[in-house]
Amino acid sequence: MGLTLDLDLKKCTSCGACAIACMDQNDIDVEQGIRPFRTVFDWENREKDSPKFVHISIACMHCEDAPCVTACPSACISKDRETNLTIFDNTNCIGCHSCAMACPFGIPSFNEEGKMQKCDGCVVRIQNGLEPACVRACPVGALRLVDTSEIEGEDKETSLQKLGREIVEFQT
Amino acid sequence: MESYAIIGFGTAGYHAAKAIREADRTGRIDVYSNTGKAPYNPMLTTYYVSGKLSYEAMFPFGSLEEIKKELDLNMIDRQVTGLKAREHVVETEGEDSGPYDRILVSTGAFAIAPRVAGLKEEDCFLMRTDEDALRLRERLDRQDVKSAVVVGASMVGIKVVELLVNRGIQTVLADLAPYMFPTAAYENVAHEIESRLKARGVGLYFQNTVTEVKNAGGSQVAVMTGKDEVPADIVVLCIGTRANIGFVDPEEVKIGKAIVVNEQMETSVPGVFAAGDCCEGNNLETGKTQIIGLWANANYQGTVAGNHMSGGRKKFDGNILHNITHFMDMDFIGFGDNRAQGTVLTSGVLGKGLYIKVVCRDHEIVGVNILDNYRISGIIKNYMLRLLQGGGNELTVFQKGMLIQAGMDESFIDRLEETVSGTN
Repeated sequence: MGLTLDLDLKKCTSCGACAIACMDQNDIDVEQGIRPFRTVFDWENREKDSPKFVHISIACMHCEDAPCVTACPSACISKDRETNLTIFDNTNCIGCHSCAMACPFGIPSFNEEGKMQKCDGCVVRIQNGLEPACVRACPVGALRLVDTSEIEGEDKETSLQKLGREIVEFQT
Repeated sequence: MESYAIIGFGTAGYHAAKAIREADRTGRIDVYSNTGKAPYNPMLTTYYVSGKLSYEAMFPFGSLEEIKKELDLNMIDRQVTGLKAREHVVETEGEDSGPYDRILVSTGAFAIAPRVAGLKEEDCFLMRTDEDALRLRERLDRQDVKSAVVVGASMVGIKVVELLVNRGIQTVLADLAPYMFPTAAYENVAHEIESRLKARGVGLYFQNTVTEVKNAGGSQVAVMTGKDEVPADIVVLCIGTRANIGFVDPEEVKIGKAIVVNEQMETSVPGVFAAGDCCEGNNLETGKTQIIGLWANANYQGTVAGNHMSGGRKKFDGNILHNITHFMDMDFIGFGDNRAQGTVLTSGVLGKGLYIKVVCRDHEIVGVNILDNYRISGIIKNYMLRLLQGGGNELTVFQKGMLIQAGMDESFIDRLEETVSGTN
């Protein structure tokens, strides 16, 4: 059990406030070609029988049994003992991209030195009693910091975490 | 009190020990390892030689003392000479230990080193262990190496080539196979990589190996299969590895190219387990057992072995062949069997950003090559694994969105889904 970030797919409007807050919090310089930790987009499902338009904001899913932790050859990625968020220390990152191959969500990005970086759930903010920056900034309450035990009871039509769990179990 | 023996202490053994300790805080864990060192990662050796990592960083879980204390291990610094598998007894240099309740064999693999005529030991290098890395780095730091031949166009071989080129050493890459990454790449992708290597000054000799090393006109040369002579102050052999299981009796334990295990990592002998590069687990694509000698695979296998040894019920259903290698500013990714035939789908143009080639057959993906885009690799691998394991034949909406964000053409995603679902 631990914490994770969940997105309510019915509430998200893909306004991008979360991504801006994340970039500010983590000093992401997109002009230097650095990919933000959080990706925001719309998706139109054009299937005739069930057309849908969904808004997504996605960053590290903080998988309970995170494939990136197992895949990292330098043991740079780990689970925070207190929160169970997926954190990293990229001092010994070799930039091999094994974590990217392990992640079914396409999350890991790499900094100017070629070292992996990603959302750490704003673990330091949480340790100091604050919300993650993206959660704090979300104007519609779509992003939430939740206990992982809550996900089981969620509906995959509304919970990005619930939807994600259905695919991560197949990843090795 | 339960007793466990772990023979060999690489990452598979380490993960098994961790899993045992999670379930059993008091059982005795004897770890047989005569290296006196913590588990290291063979994949990191070239990064030490290149100067990107410190020596200590090749040992990603910390020092042996730290691990021993954390997991309460009883280290036994003796060479294992035999295994009485059915009796659960470990033999070491004339001494039997056991019987143990459960035994894990996690002895990894060793680099194949065929003898090359005329090649002096001081000029011959392997790239598997931390000692191999120390030797090569010390030699390169002497700055007397101006030319090198690397034998083996493998994931290790290419990293050795990269570090040699970065040191300004005239480098030739040779392989008996007809092209680069012969067990992972499609031929057109391999040729694209070859053209880039040539542009960086790397000499390529395929369907060739070094037959002899000799002195010619005062300098050392390697004589290739085709009789060409190329400068070779040193030769680095990256030909492959073999399971380190010489002490295991095939009359007792089922062995193919390595120790055969089931989804609990148990061998043909109850109570005796194997994990990591010394074992053959299930290949999800073929349904047959096969060595899949990868870091993450060893970690999964070790964890499941340790869990099961200590009474748990975790399973590891298997894996697919998969590789990612980042070198000379490019990423090559290969999944599955590059010899498997089927419907071929491609997207992108080689040399112009994201390129992907997928081979589909019977509603599954049987092989993938990706060049120049690591971002899509995890999603495509997940899709392949789900198709193989009955996890649905559609990409999720967020996976599709992330693929498009990473530069994949939307119409390719549609074609891929249609092909595997049989609607195309």
